[in-house]
Amino acid sequence: MREERSQELRIERTYEASAEEVFDAWTSAEVLRRWMHAGEDWSTPVAEVDLRVGGTVRIVMRRPDGGDAEMHGEYREIERPHRLVMAWTFADRPENRQLIELSFTESGGATTVVMVNTEISGEERRESQERGWRACLEELARALAG
Amino acid sequence: MANDPFRALAHPLRRDIVERLSGGAATVGEVTRDFGVSKPTISRHLKTLEEAGVVTRVVDGRTHRLALEPQALAEASGWIESQRARWEGLFDAVGEYLDERRERS
Repeated sequence: MREERSQELRIERTYEASAEEVFDAWTSAEVLRRWMHAGEDWSTPVAEVDLRVGGTVRIVMRRPDGGDAEMHGEYREIERPHRLVMAWTFADRPENRQLIELSFTESGGATTVVMVNTEISGEERRESQERGWRACLEELARALAG
Repeated sequence: MANDPFRALAHPLRRDIVERLSGGAATVGEVTRDFGVSKPTISRHLKTLEEAGVVTRVVDGRTHRLALEPQALAEASGWIESQRARWEGLFDAVGEYLDERRERS
């Protein structure tokens, strides 16, 4: 089967902790609350995690003017402490659905987390992807700058 | 969303068109030479690129010249960078949380 999703971004980081500790941090409501705490005047009134396949992550940020922005995630695969897959949507771009695949690899007391983030959309699933548009955009940015 | 540069670049043929145009404006014939696909197919893909604001078309008599609209691409590229910054923020939050737990224990 061909790879049909386009790669958007990849982030890797190593933490001085066991895979279990790192996995539990990734799925903790406290961490999600901190993540979305944009500034002093903002608050995060809701950070809910329902850690089961099909369960949702819901974060609500309240702006200083009282308006809310909501983020949604849905757990697709949960293999504690090795792998976690979520579908994700940000309020500012609801038509963009991201698939987030996280792997946790422990070695010598440290755990490396690799996040691979791809865009999911109907058109992209139908149309073949020969290479990521991220690479395409980077080439273009260079071409346009030069 | 019709005017979405991400959707515009979701097809390899459209990415090829955009890449050829990155060298400068060109006619439809120049840009789509050796593609080996039908004219209606090319028209459909060009329409998608134009609707997304990624490509503009200037008609001069019988010649149609295509050019890239760098602003639309810069917006798409900027959005990807903002996504990276967001998710890096989650990596940071995980790190801070783990540090605090270690200090407490």
